[in-house]
Amino acid sequence: MSWLWFDLCPDPATGTVASARVSDANGTPRGVLCAWASDQDRPTPTAAKVDSRAMDPCGEPGSVSLVLAPDGLYLPFDDSAVAHATRMVLAMPPADVCSTLVDGDDRFRGSVTGTHGDEGRLSYDPFGVLFPAVVLRVEAGLLGRMSSPVGPVTQRYGATNPWPWDRFEPA
Amino acid sequence: MGEDLVAGRAFPDLVLPDHAGNQRHLSQLAADDPVLLHFYRGWWCPKEQAYFRNLVGLQDEAEVAYTRFVSVSVDPPEVQAAFRAGIGARWIFLSDAERQWIDRLGLMEKTDTSHRPYLPTMFTLGPDLTIHRVYNGYWFWGRATNEELRQDFRAISQASRSDWEPPQS
Repeated sequence: MSWLWFDLCPDPATGTVASARVSDANGTPRGVLCAWASDQDRPTPTAAKVDSRAMDPCGEPGSVSLVLAPDGLYLPFDDSAVAHATRMVLAMPPADVCSTLVDGDDRFRGSVTGTHGDEGRLSYDPFGVLFPAVVLRVEAGLLGRMSSPVGPVTQRYGATNPWPWDRFEPA
Repeated sequence: MGEDLVAGRAFPDLVLPDHAGNQRHLSQLAADDPVLLHFYRGWWCPKEQAYFRNLVGLQDEAEVAYTRFVSVSVDPPEVQAAFRAGIGARWIFLSDAERQWIDRLGLMEKTDTSHRPYLPTMFTLGPDLTIHRVYNGYWFWGRATNEELRQDFRAISQASRSDWEPPQS
């Protein structure tokens, strides 16, 4: 599994492998989305794991639906509400980027769903029923492209990995 | 059906657009898991509608069993997307609307000269696309039942998962 640390920061951070400023629909700045390599210590207290395919330092501008658990909150990844949200994601038209955000082995702390095109795709986010979701415009330098999950698998491939990463690591 | 499409041989690594129009490789969709590769006539066929209802029933098990479903027809992607949503399927559909593979695979149903669809055929595949079993679904009762699929996936998983027997340490 290849994953990165990921967080929404108030200001540009150091040591990132990809980052981009974000703003809301009114153009109001909402901070900087940052990704860091996985081989370093947790860069911020609230950083979580994201599928590395979702991040691209050469990525074009786009939009994301960002779901972040309020400070101190999480859901067990095996919670039936999380499982149902993943089912809904599989049933919907695919986005350019989709990754859950994982804390430790088994804590769901949010998701990032992104598009380089029609922002309407982000108008309903199944993970947004679990924690608050916000749609943000993302400048260039962060948002990648990844194949949509195959389904019908909703389980994680290894207990520490963000869904929908789709294969086990070699033994 | 092509002579190579028999148990023990590798299924060709199809490259086709999915129901959203994205080009996909079958090997990428397999991603080291067992696969049900399901060729069907089209959304319009009552037998297919009945069979899809069976598969939709099985997907609740497959979603926790690291097993992939892939359905292929000559319907255009947008038709597949609507059909997929209507039946509640949560797996990938591949569109061979350009008929790139139907003749190469020898899977055209020649008795239907109106639609010239895929011959209903199901393959259970290993993670490396090796064919485990083939089901000729021309007659409905020839299709794989959900129980037969469970048995196939058990056998494939047992053979391909190195930790099928739980590790002792």
